[in-house]
Amino acid sequence: MIAELTGRKAVRSGVIWGYLFGASIASSAFSYTSLYKTRAQRGALAAAYGSNKATAALFGPAPRLQTVAGFTAFKIGMTLMVAGAVWGLLTSTRLLRGEEDEGRWDLLLSGPSSRRGAVVQALVGLAAGAGTLWTLTAVITVVTGSASSVSIAAGPAVYFALAMVATAVMFLGVGALTSQLAATRGQAAAYAGVVLGVAYAIRMIADAGTGLHGLVWLSPLGWVEELQPFTTPRPLALLPIAGLTVVTCLAAVSLAGRRDVGAGVLSDRTQARPRLRLLYGPTGLALRLTRSTVTGWWVAIAASGLLYGLIAKSAGSTIAGSAVHGVFSRLGANGTGSEAVLGVCFLVLAVLVAFVGAGQLTAARGEESTGRLDHLLVGPVSRTRWLGGRLLAAVALLLVSGVVAGLFVWFGAASQHSGVGLAALLGAGLNTVPPAVVVLGVGVLAFGLVPRAASAIVYSYLGWSLLVVIVGGIGAVDHWVLDTSVFHQMVSAPARSPNWPANGAMVLLGTFFIVVGGLAFRRRDIQGA
Amino acid sequence: MTTMAIRTEGLTKRFGVAVALDHLDLEVSPGEVVGYLGPNGAGKTTTIRLLLGLAKASEGRAQIFGMDCERQPVETHRRLTFVPGEANLWPSLTGAETLVLLGRVHGGVDGTYRDELTDRFEFDPTKKVRAYSRGNRQKLLLIAALMSRPDLLVLDEPTSGLDPIMEQAFRLSVHEARDRGQTIFLSSHIMSEVEALCDRIALLRDGALVEVGTLADMRHLKALIVEITFDGPVPDLSGVPGVTAWETVGQLVHCHVKGGIEPLLAVLAGSGVKNFLSREPSLEELFLAQYGGDGPVSPAQHDAG
Repeated sequence: MIAELTGRKAVRSGVIWGYLFGASIASSAFSYTSLYKTRAQRGALAAAYGSNKATAALFGPAPRLQTVAGFTAFKIGMTLMVAGAVWGLLTSTRLLRGEEDEGRWDLLLSGPSSRRGAVVQALVGLAAGAGTLWTLTAVITVVTGSASSVSIAAGPAVYFALAMVATAVMFLGVGALTSQLAATRGQAAAYAGVVLGVAYAIRMIADAGTGLHGLVWLSPLGWVEELQPFTTPRPLALLPIAGLTVVTCLAAVSLAGRRDVGAGVLSDRTQARPRLRLLYGPTGLALRLTRSTVTGWWVAIAASGLLYGLIAKSAGSTIAGSAVHGVFSRLGANGTGSEAVLGVCFLVLAVLVAFVGAGQLTAARGEESTGRLDHLLVGPVSRTRWLGGRLLAAVALLLVSGVVAGLFVWFGAASQHSGVGLAALLGAGLNTVPPAVVVLGVGVLAFGLVPRAASAIVYSYLGWSLLVVIVGGIGAVDHWVLDTSVFHQMVSAPARSPNWPANGAMVLLGTFFIVVGGLAFRRRDIQGA
Repeated sequence: MTTMAIRTEGLTKRFGVAVALDHLDLEVSPGEVVGYLGPNGAGKTTTIRLLLGLAKASEGRAQIFGMDCERQPVETHRRLTFVPGEANLWPSLTGAETLVLLGRVHGGVDGTYRDELTDRFEFDPTKKVRAYSRGNRQKLLLIAALMSRPDLLVLDEPTSGLDPIMEQAFRLSVHEARDRGQTIFLSSHIMSEVEALCDRIALLRDGALVEVGTLADMRHLKALIVEITFDGPVPDLSGVPGVTAWETVGQLVHCHVKGGIEPLLAVLAGSGVKNFLSREPSLEELFLAQYGGDGPVSPAQHDAG
């Protein structure tokens, strides 16, 4: 029963993401074949990227770049690994903790299923979802590989698909475990997110040429790297991957028996003394409700920034004057080695800052869809005051996010004497804010016109912008498609100085969307879920 | 002319082609307690959402204390509070924090009265909202609405989930509010509650008002319900003027009497009556008569009409 319900939802999600994974793999492969046609071109690329520690830190190591397979693995590998992990933890926390919290399991658990049985069934359903993800990815990869320009055999293609899906499977397990520990779905996702963040950080340190390469065996992402599909496959690395998955799932099942339905193992406070400072009105309430999410993002931005600052100098020293410089400049990064690397790093930070903005918008829509907004709007609060207050707060949070990004990169960079100044880095940090304002604006526009789709639209646009920039980094994307990406419009500071007029235009565009969306919001009915 | 507390003129709401509310004309005077009844899907919640500005009217207008609901939402909301039937609140806040927040948003809170209400409803404000049962969340909303003593209270099934003791606490609070001159607009399914509290009742069906009036008015139009238990054989009452829908179960006769009971009493004198019970129809029976047939029908039923 539960297996079927969970399975249906997981498989649906797996289909969509399998298609996305497959599409990114295919597009990476085909753009490589169209860009680098001759053996000489491919050889030069391999020589340039191959031993480069900067790219290794960001995208993972790059063996055998002269082959289509090798390049595809390098180009899209890290992105799919992280995306897969995020999918895994979000899906398992949604279908385990989320379903339970919403009370849908109360009905089922009053029947013959025990709590442990329920978790086992849900894991079966999730496995079906993961299987779908793998199957679809594998099919598309095999089909891509059968193209004559690409020519990857079916066996390696399937192994590659397995590698890409491995993190998704591991983090389904991690999410299942945190769902038993945490009291709410948000907390479960946050704990699992922290695990992912730590895993990524360890892998990054291992790959950045700091001599600590052995660390790669401490990180689940590192294990996937060690699988080395398309180059020298090492299936041995499948052991720790399978091991982690099995251990987390077993732990989840065992813990499920030890707690109440709807609660977590780590007890959650149900009573508290009143903390009234922020509860002065709707905007204060918004800050109070989103503060833990925003703080989490700030920690992620600060930690990433610090890490990037630390590796900038050593990674950058391998770039300057090399052929890879040309490829980096296609991503928009020039300047000294450190600045070039940081230029690309700030792209990642810009994505995180944009997530802060998108999150604020989905929180606002969540207030409406759950009916809580009614309590505020029934008071002497106009719709303009409610939405305007929330958006002003959101923009303020975005500005702080930009400053945090620049500041922590500087902490890291300055400690290594990288020679990039605080002013330049703060400027680079603030440079990430205008794209986030545009993303926020798109969200508000959707919120005013099609509120039920607003969350999906804002995250889709964010994802689209990111995807376009990543695939466009190889250079085979039409100019007009690139222009639709908000991150493409952003200059990669500090590699180049920020284009303040372009930033102003982005802020204006975002403001225009916000105004139109706000007017639409004022005129429509308040709509529930 | 006094300003009406609530006044709608031709208020209409369409969702696509479906008409949820069809040219509603309703008036509520200040200080009245009005009950708003109707089957599920009649348009009661739609009416309330239009009054509160949460939805926009397709046609017509609504005014609260003379101010347009759509064009002057902030001013109208200053004078009213609302209790919805579903308590969707912020799970991470405690009861006390929620009360403070809603109080600050609305303004005009009487702190002493709030504490009195908290005691009366036996409400523990220290717990987080996610730890409350449904009934407790409903109590929280009731306290929040009552504590600022608004000129107009709009209540949409406010006691769903409350036990009978708390239902009594609610009725006491409504009586207090009415005595202070506050206006109350109550939409409810609990007939006994509406009967006990309301001065006037409006019945809604398929988006249109089918009856508005006091309970006395409505009863006047309906028959008295009479139950007679006989010692001996049951006489034939079919010829008695005003007696309708009578049925016999053993020694018990159950019938409706319209237009005066004197003819029936004249026939019954000396017929061996052991017990005689007469009562006015309850609101539930009026409601069922309006919406779904005239009470239970059995094979033994006779109609003298």
